Amino acid sequence: MNNASFLAVAPEVVVLAGALIVIILGVIVDRPRREWGFVAALSFLVAMVLSVVQWQAVDDLIADGSSLLFFSARSVPILRSPMVVMDHYSAFAGFAIFTVGLLGLGAVWALVQRVRDRGVELVALILLAFAGLHMMTISANIIMLFLGLETASIAFYVVAGFTRSRPEADEAAVKYFLLGSLASAIFVYGAALLFAGTGSTSFYGAGGMKTFLSATIVAEPGVLLLGIGLVIVGLAFKVSAAPFHQWAPDVYQGAPTGAVGLMAAGVKIAGFAALGRILIGALPTQIDEWAPILSIIAGLSMVIGTAVAVAQTDVKRLLAYSGVAHAGYIMMAFVAGDAGIGAMWFYVSMYALTLVGAFAIVSAVSRTSTDGSDLDDWAGLSRRSPELAWSMLLLLLAMGGIPFTAGFVAKVSVFTVAADAGYLWLTILALLTTVVGLYVYFRVAAKMFFAGPADDAPAVEVPVVLRTVIAVTVVSTIAFGVDPWPLLDLVREALPL
Amino acid sequence: MTLTVLILLPLLGAMVIALLPKHRPELVFPVAIGVSILPLAASLWILVNFATGDPLFQFTEDYVLSETFGFGWRLGVDGISLFMVVLTGILVPLAIAASKSIAERPKQFMVAMLVLEAGLLGVFLALDLLLFFAFFEIVLVPMYLLIGIWGSDNRLYAAIKFVLFTAFGSIFLLAGIIVLAIEGGDATGAVTSFDFRTMLSLDLSSTMQIWLFLAFGVAFAIKVPIFPFHTWLPDAHTEAPTAGSVILAGLLLKMGTYGFLRFNLSLFPDASVDLAVYLGILGVIGIVYGAAVAIAQPDIKRLIAYSSVSHMGFVVLGIFALTSQGLSGAVFVMISHGLVTGALFLMIGMIYDRRHTRLISEYGGLATVMPIYAGIFLFMAFASIGLPGLSGFVGEFGVLLGSYLTFPVLAILAGSGVILAAVYMLWAYERVFTGSVTNPKNEGLSDLGFRELAILVPLIVLIVGIGVYPKPVLDRIEPSVELILDRVEAQTDYDVTEYGRVDEVVEPRGIVGETTGHAADESGHGDEEGSG
Repeated sequence: MNNASFLAVAPEVVVLAGALIVIILGVIVDRPRREWGFVAALSFLVAMVLSVVQWQAVDDLIADGSSLLFFSARSVPILRSPMVVMDHYSAFAGFAIFTVGLLGLGAVWALVQRVRDRGVELVALILLAFAGLHMMTISANIIMLFLGLETASIAFYVVAGFTRSRPEADEAAVKYFLLGSLASAIFVYGAALLFAGTGSTSFYGAGGMKTFLSATIVAEPGVLLLGIGLVIVGLAFKVSAAPFHQWAPDVYQGAPTGAVGLMAAGVKIAGFAALGRILIGALPTQIDEWAPILSIIAGLSMVIGTAVAVAQTDVKRLLAYSGVAHAGYIMMAFVAGDAGIGAMWFYVSMYALTLVGAFAIVSAVSRTSTDGSDLDDWAGLSRRSPELAWSMLLLLLAMGGIPFTAGFVAKVSVFTVAADAGYLWLTILALLTTVVGLYVYFRVAAKMFFAGPADDAPAVEVPVVLRTVIAVTVVSTIAFGVDPWPLLDLVREALPL
Repeated sequence: MTLTVLILLPLLGAMVIALLPKHRPELVFPVAIGVSILPLAASLWILVNFATGDPLFQFTEDYVLSETFGFGWRLGVDGISLFMVVLTGILVPLAIAASKSIAERPKQFMVAMLVLEAGLLGVFLALDLLLFFAFFEIVLVPMYLLIGIWGSDNRLYAAIKFVLFTAFGSIFLLAGIIVLAIEGGDATGAVTSFDFRTMLSLDLSSTMQIWLFLAFGVAFAIKVPIFPFHTWLPDAHTEAPTAGSVILAGLLLKMGTYGFLRFNLSLFPDASVDLAVYLGILGVIGIVYGAAVAIAQPDIKRLIAYSSVSHMGFVVLGIFALTSQGLSGAVFVMISHGLVTGALFLMIGMIYDRRHTRLISEYGGLATVMPIYAGIFLFMAFASIGLPGLSGFVGEFGVLLGSYLTFPVLAILAGSGVILAAVYMLWAYERVFTGSVTNPKNEGLSDLGFRELAILVPLIVLIVGIGVYPKPVLDRIEPSVELILDRVEAQTDYDVTEYGRVDEVVEPRGIVGETTGHAADESGHGDEEGSG
């Protein structure tokens, strides 16, 4: 094992080690809640730094002409191919995922403190889940990718049902588990068919899918197409794209509010990264087959997500459906192939930031009532807590795609690549749903700012950690909206091998 | 740097206000007035230093922010945008000064006003289409808050209607900009290019021009608003607080006509020539319809709102007359309408502060209790009608003159708008001000105070000033307008009709004949008089 191969998996190692330390601390130390947080935050920080190191190491490896593929399992004939890849794609994914992890940890911190001794489980589960999420993005082999997917999913099933005392939490956990397992099964079936179609589970390397498909005329195009379709469906479930989104509103509503942001944002980044790894990394030759499938899923997601969000009276459900629409917008970028990756990265990472921030605010606001998130609880928030209301407004504007927020740049980017790739109908559909989306977000703004006479409810108390998370997400949403160009240039290089 | 500073000044002011201590609410109003004077001073500085006679963009700034995506912080001002900028500088402090009675969250109100100002200035100064769109769209947010928080009874409906209508238009604009940017990117070798000047050099097919014209046109038509896209306007104008109505009518509507002038005519000359007649017809429908509906309004604010539809119809007709007089007249109407309608909304706000009703039937005989108010209102009514010697006349006369050359029938129909304006304005004046006081609630009303007079006097001076002596304004507008028309002529086989041509026929061939002969040869469609 050389240095580069260790570096390729170093973030996972660090985060998993963090998880183990947290569990051990939970057993041996008396009431060490703050220490769990330090360990977890430190693991995420180190993992972020390692992602930056990876990015630079990739440049060096390319300059040396070395391979970016690692861990060939030579003893198993079928798996005689690289398992892990380290490229700009995985490095950027790592940075985005662990940033979300760190911010999400801050958002969930109030809950960790509230549940006292059980908090250690929550922190450890989050660390495990994020190790799994990043594993999805570094996989050079579809079985590795599936392992990462399951690691993250199983951890998140538990997180979804974490606040056991609430009946919605049980429902959320069971629903998430059942539908999530179904999605995993569909994904595995798709992976098997991809293997049947290409003779490999590996994306890269000699005999991998990419090399095989670029050199061969496929004998069984039907099998391959079915495999592609099932893999897309499996991942569409995970990123809650329509029509595979039904679990999302219930899970968002039932899961502990502070944790929803990191779950939803983390899964979206990793899910789309995995989709890009498989489709654009391994199967770029089949773009004419998978791009139409994606364009239909994208169109459905935008329309269904936005239309249903209009009628929601619960903020968490509203954000869930808006997440379905956003999954559609992000998916739009894929139809352009390589050219769309930059737009995809920008959109998904910026959306992840706004999502974590929005759920942080939701958790702060709903803490004062009964952990519910009825839209009526938000009435007059701008009087009670103007800072919170203005922060939420800015995040909502970003989701709606209003200029000078990152959301606007993200939307223009994906619309441009889709239009450039010839999917003008999809762009126009996306633009139309954007307007309806504005109605959804402005309605929440109206509740916060326009609602009736001042009520006597006290100002919302926001703990310092949560306040920091909200500030960071809001400021970066604006900063990347005003000057997105360095990041846009960077993500254009974050292509899969 | 000047223009960047101009855009940043209101934002800085907003920051100052946001940072004012919470326990000193009485500071908000004077500080807001103070900081809003700064952009006014800057815009006047630009007006003074503007080189008259130069048709090109001045004070240009071009900081490329992304080579890859062809985006830059590109600003510039020409004779058309110059007066929009100055108008913004003038109206915002006045609107703020008129908002002393705002008791609900005054700090947030002033911040919204100043952010709105920055957005408007950006719209009029941007020379990069993405930047333009960003400013065009950001204006929605403070306006939404202004209507929604500080509006009257039906504000929720009006606010969301305003946002949805304009955002619906904007998406077509964005789609058009994206298509143009991709074309521009192909031309420059970058991914995209949003530079207005790059786009001017694109060679677009005429079908493409039509589509793009329509995409841009829908957005601007909703903003203007051109009939039949006007239904958001009466609600928004009526429900908005006074300052919001002033900015809406005085400046926001101009974003639409400015868009037509700046982008549609220059970027899609073929389509502009082909579609001019339809827009002219819509403009005339707007003139007549707006005026006719205004007559029947029981609510004085709604009446003025509908009169805006009528006046903006003149602007549209003037623009698509595609003549020098028409375009200059259109820009002049934009300025005049901003001053006059702004003043009328301010005055309605003043009476609303006293009586909390806008229904005409609630008033009557106000002239006896508020003589100064009545006098100024009558003055503004005449300015709105277009009485010679006041600003309204110059622009509308120019539009009629200019459109008579290309669409004589439309010009004659449009002329009826002036008569209808007299009907609705004077009839409203009669019902509100003349006779004896019939409603006892009106008896004790106080006349205008010093602050209110101080708000109105500058507007009166300007309305008379540019009405009596419009030359300094027209001298700055005309070169830029001519440049647009030259471009249309160069790109299409359209000949701009001019009043001068008839004289040239009878003149002996000489210097004058040579110059016109050259133009006729180049176009290949020489008019009859060229050979005569």
